[in-house]
Amino acid sequence: MNGMELPLVFFTVLGQAAVGMTLIAAMRRHATDSGGPVFAGRNEWLTALIILGVGMAASLFHLGHPTGSPRTLVHLSTSWLSREVLMLGLFGVLLVIGFLTVPQTSGSSVLITLTALVGLAGLIASGLTYAPPSFPALNNGVPVLLFLLTALIMGPAVCSYFTSEDTQALLTGILGTALILGLVMNLILPSVWMSGGRVMQMTGAAHYGSALYWIRLGGEFGVGLAVIAATRRIPVWLPVVLLAGEILGRILFFSKVVHTATNIGGLY
Amino acid sequence: MNKNQVAFFVDVKRCIGCFSCAMACKNQYHQPPGVVWRYVYSLKEEIYAHHERAFLSLACNHCEHPTCLEVCPVEAYTKREKDGIVVHHQDKCIGCGNCIRSCPYGAPRYNPELKKAEKCSFCWERQDAGLKPACILGCPTKALQIVRLADFKRPGSLQYIAGFPRMTALNPSVRFNPPRQPMEVRRAL
Amino acid sequence: MKPWTDAWIEKALSSPFTRRRFLKGLIAAGVAAAAPCGLPIGSANAEEIVYDEPYQVFRNACPRNCYDTCSIKTYVKDGVVHFIEGAPESSFTDGGLCVKGFSYQRETYSPDRIKYPMFQEGRGSGNWKRVTWEEALDRIARKILEIKEKDGSLLGLGLTKYSGNFGITNYGVEGMMTSLGYTTRFVGTPCWPAGIDAQNYDMGDMWCNDPEDLVKSRYIILWGANPAWCSIHSMKYIYAAQEQGAKVLAIDPVFTQAAAKADEYWQVKTGEDGALALGMARHLLDREMVDRDFLNRHALGFEQFADYLRQEVTLDWAANRCGIPAEHIARAAEEFASAKPATVWIGYGLQRHVNGGATVRAIDALAAMTGNVGKEGGGARYGHLFTWGFNYHALVQKQPEGSVGFLGESGPKGEFDFKQEKATYSDRTVNINKTARSILELDNPPLRMLWVSCKNPFSQDFDLNMMKKAFDKLETIVVVDKFFNQTAQNADIVLPVTTNLEEWTVNVSYWHYWIGINEQAVKPLFEAKSNIEIAAALSKKMNELSPGSCTFATEIDTKEWMEKEFNQGIYDLFGIQSWEDLREGPRKAKLPSSAAWHDLNFKTPSGKYEFYSRLAADHGHDALPKYKPNRTPYGPFRLLTPHSKFNIHSQFQHLDYMEDFNPKPFVYIHPDTAAGKGIGNGDRVKVFNKVGEVVLTAQLTDNVPPDTVLLYEAWFRNNPYNVQNVVDDESADMGLYKTGAPGVAIHDQFADIARA
Ligand SMILES: Nc1nc2c(c(=O)[nH]1)N[C@H]1C(S)=C(S)[C@@H](COP(=O)(O)OP(=O)(O)OC[C@H]3O[C@@H](n4cnc5c(=O)[nH]c(N)nc54)[C@H](O)[C@@H]3O)O[C@H]1N2
Ligand SMILES: Nc1nc2c(c(=O)[nH]1)N[C@H]1C(S)=C(S)[C@@H](COP(=O)(O)OP(=O)(O)OC[C@H]3O[C@@H](n4cnc5c(=O)[nH]c(N)nc54)[C@H](O)[C@@H]3O)O[C@H]1N2
Ligand code: SF4
Ligand code: SF4
Ligand code: SF4
Ligand code: SF4
Ligand code: SF4
Ligand SMILES: [Mo]
Repeated sequence: MNGMELPLVFFTVLGQAAVGMTLIAAMRRHATDSGGPVFAGRNEWLTALIILGVGMAASLFHLGHPTGSPRTLVHLSTSWLSREVLMLGLFGVLLVIGFLTVPQTSGSSVLITLTALVGLAGLIASGLTYAPPSFPALNNGVPVLLFLLTALIMGPAVCSYFTSEDTQALLTGILGTALILGLVMNLILPSVWMSGGRVMQMTGAAHYGSALYWIRLGGEFGVGLAVIAATRRIPVWLPVVLLAGEILGRILFFSKVVHTATNIGGLY
Repeated sequence: MNKNQVAFFVDVKRCIGCFSCAMACKNQYHQPPGVVWRYVYSLKEEIYAHHERAFLSLACNHCEHPTCLEVCPVEAYTKREKDGIVVHHQDKCIGCGNCIRSCPYGAPRYNPELKKAEKCSFCWERQDAGLKPACILGCPTKALQIVRLADFKRPGSLQYIAGFPRMTALNPSVRFNPPRQPMEVRRAL
Repeated sequence: MKPWTDAWIEKALSSPFTRRRFLKGLIAAGVAAAAPCGLPIGSANAEEIVYDEPYQVFRNACPRNCYDTCSIKTYVKDGVVHFIEGAPESSFTDGGLCVKGFSYQRETYSPDRIKYPMFQEGRGSGNWKRVTWEEALDRIARKILEIKEKDGSLLGLGLTKYSGNFGITNYGVEGMMTSLGYTTRFVGTPCWPAGIDAQNYDMGDMWCNDPEDLVKSRYIILWGANPAWCSIHSMKYIYAAQEQGAKVLAIDPVFTQAAAKADEYWQVKTGEDGALALGMARHLLDREMVDRDFLNRHALGFEQFADYLRQEVTLDWAANRCGIPAEHIARAAEEFASAKPATVWIGYGLQRHVNGGATVRAIDALAAMTGNVGKEGGGARYGHLFTWGFNYHALVQKQPEGSVGFLGESGPKGEFDFKQEKATYSDRTVNINKTARSILELDNPPLRMLWVSCKNPFSQDFDLNMMKKAFDKLETIVVVDKFFNQTAQNADIVLPVTTNLEEWTVNVSYWHYWIGINEQAVKPLFEAKSNIEIAAALSKKMNELSPGSCTFATEIDTKEWMEKEFNQGIYDLFGIQSWEDLREGPRKAKLPSSAAWHDLNFKTPSGKYEFYSRLAADHGHDALPKYKPNRTPYGPFRLLTPHSKFNIHSQFQHLDYMEDFNPKPFVYIHPDTAAGKGIGNGDRVKVFNKVGEVVLTAQLTDNVPPDTVLLYEAWFRNNPYNVQNVVDDESADMGLYKTGAPGVAIHDQFADIARA
């Protein structure tokens, strides 16, 4: 089947983690407006920036000619990839601004909200980049949903390192919900595929047949939910486990989804 | 739709699956081992009753709405006005693989030596010089032909033959004539 | 070429092969002027491919042992072949080539070529050492002289050569042997000999209609022939006939690609076609659907044949033997007899049996009794040598003074031996189809040295295990080839030979009626020499060491030698003034009719079509085309090892380009048979019999009958696969008369299978 595309795996997962952080930050910001706890400092901006940076750096390894990467902006008219690059680029710039200006503005709700929205736009663009007609299983809203879930899982997970005790509850709640959604989504997706056309069926079968798929279900969602249910909080080690789970999930996404061309000559 | 759009006509009834077309392409363009622009796919038994006895010779379909062109972030693809040929410009390509991943027909291939994508050019340079595409000239049974869709009227021909992905949004510029099977007398053992 | 430039090419052609380095290498080697524009770097940048500035166009031909003998146009720029195409001037080639032909550019520039003369320390060790031509020829010449010393003759020196390259000048290899003295020759052919004799008994020669007149046929039987793979350029004529209402019936134990294009397919029992043909004949006799006029005026012995049919042949008997129900036999016989004209394409695979010759005679009889012989669009088509009337200047050589040889005369040295010499001394001839056995048995003198050229015994001859033993017995083995094939791997010395794009020669076909020259499109790469240049170089060395020991010219111009093959007869036949005319393109023979035997003057002793052939009887066969049983099985399953579409025998499949389309071999098994053996699709399977075994991946398909397993002959580089591990050297019934040795029952093989 298709390669694992590791550069893309890290690019997308990390990028979405960064977007997730800003989404959470934005939520918390608004929470604080309604008299909640104070918004965390610049190192949270920095962390998001670093995570995104690492992801973007990883993406370069995917290019045959990395030096050409700036040119990826030229086809905004139709290429979701161009749009993805633009949005995530802007997202990065906003993170930098945030990082530099946080002390002064101690987290203007405008900036954080804008950053989160741009990040979200980037996430959607990349979801559409990976929804081409060649992958019937993904040629729909699924990638956007999967990426959003990644953001909603990794966001609170990473943020948990930066928040005081009293906001833990909020993050734990968000994470718990995201994990439940993720579990449901990943459980039903293959069966939905199994009821689709031949290539979708092949995709479903490939997932059921893959150890990665089951390991991830148990290792990420199983463990995650169990721990949260038991402790009502996010232990320091959990984000690492979740990151591993997301990476597994993304490897599945890139390697186990079947391309139409693999079945040429057969019934569709 | 461009009224000058050229297309491949694959007469599966005549095709003997000889791969001459596919090798004619390599003879013309010398892709490194492992890189093929045209491939001869055999129809599975669920479509043609006998193993490797009917084939679809496929390359790029020079679609009316080419996904490759749409998804390429650096505009390495252009679609010619004069004949609707979808041209990949190697000099622009940065090898991101997006077209390779996105084309439902698997037409663009990754060239590991150039670290770029490449695909069937419909031999536009040959055509501009008044020559037939290499694969078409090379087909010993005339099963592979070039046609102008505007004036292609062949009874019984199909755009989406069984075994070929149905991608109406792309509207691939290719037509097929279905295969046939002989009457068979087999030994009772 | 200077060594440092070789180093460049080495680098350039060494895998992993990149077009860039390849290009550099060619330029560095001075093969190309340093103009990257349009050099064979292919798609690197489409814009670089330029067609308006002129290419040098050369005329080439495909010299392989293939019906189609395609005429090729080669496009050269800066001394490098950019691409080739089928010559449009030939209506037969018509611009197309096959997957093999289109790999010629790659073959010539293949990184895997034998590039220099080399010595191997330890056969099969792969421990090759590059040597100069000087060193190589010196060692070879001294060995030859040593043999002459020891034995007082050169019978200890043997030549095995067959169909690697049918270019006329390449008969200079046989010439080279003659010019050394009387030697041991492996004669005959594994290919088509039984059928050749059969047609000679029936009609006095092997002669077939122009394949382009298949268009005129109303009914075509493809009998044990698979033109959709083996003569792909003939398919367009078959299609044209079908479009005009002709019916095509394919008779083959295997559902071949040709069968898939037919109107009707019969899965005959292997080796029982004789019964089938005779059954049809008997039915037509009963229906009186025979051409009495032809039989009365142009045939001999039809009444005896009719009596035989009435007494010993019935429809039901035929049906029982061949497995085709009687009603179908009767129906098709009537369709065949009432279609005018009707024709049979008698395949070569059909006659590779212990009863192959008899089978061909029975089929000939069917075509003759229905009055289809001598008719345009009719005929029992098998092959012809009608256009092969060259001078064989390279072939015909004189033995050195006082050469001692084999006492008594020898027969023909193969089907292409147009110049049989009659003399007191002669070469020692042995059956090429029993090469291994003969090497082991030959004595006083034993075979000491073997020269292998245009031949790959390890892949194409029979009983590989015996072949290995035989090679062990040889003192010196010289292989002249393009690639390190399985025979070369077991040689002491390899000599690099040119590809067809690097040599001068002329080619004709044994099927169609076109002639084409083969120009030297590019200078030989590395240190490759053509076969006759090698002969000349050896002659020079021999005469240096022992003046007069070799009569072959020591300096030759291969272009001149190509010219020397032409004569007035050839010019007249093809309507040309000089060979130069062929530079404008291939030419077709001027035929009074597209039909063989159109004047019905047969070359038999009686001048008639001989149903009753005394000659056959004198040669120990039935005088009549009687039923002859097939070989008794020595294993549970019939084993077929026919030809593949991706290679000609051991050529082409090993090219990296070919691996893109056919990476590995398979054994084809019927699903029911596989089920019985617990074999699933894709399982590793062992195919084994008394000869040996091969292990490979199974593909389940009803293309093969349940009682048959099928392997395609091929040499894959990086894969030990070899069908000769399971094929023995049993002889066919005929072939001795016209080719010097009986054929070989390649398809009368049997084997068992098991999961590996
Ligand atoms: N099991 C089985 N065995 C078979 C057959 C089968 O169907 N099944 N088919 C049989 C038939 S029909 C045939 S015709 C024979 C063919 O047997 P071969 O004539 O041996 O077949 P090739 O592999 O075509 O050619 C032999 C070698 O000639 C080399 N060669 C090519 N050109 C030149 C040249 O210019 N000079 C020199 N010196 N060498 C050259 C090639 O590289 C190759 O290694 O095989 C027979 N063997
Ligand atoms: N692509 C390609 N083309 C080639 C060659 C090649 O190797 N590859 N080889 C060239 C050479 S040297 C030759 S001799 C010709 C061979 O040309 P063909 O004779 O057409 O091909 P083969 O594969 O030798 O045999 C043809 C068929 O004979 C069938 N057969 C075997 N036994 C019997 C039998 O008892 N009865 C019947 N009815 N059929 C039987 C086999 O199943 C096979 O399908 O092709 C030439 N052209
Ligand atoms: S060359 Fe023609 S016949 Fe051969 S595979 Fe291609 S399309 Fe089919
Ligand atoms: S087939 Fe694929 S590569 Fe060719 S034009 Fe259509 S989308 Fe593009
Ligand atoms: S690989 Fe090249 S052509 Fe394909 S999308 Fe990327 S840049 Fe465009
Ligand atoms: S049209 Fe030209 S480029 Fe396209 S497959 Fe045929 S030969 Fe290759
Ligand atoms: S192998 Fe036969 S068909 Fe192919 S190029 Fe040579 S002569 Fe033509
Ligand atoms: Mo042959």
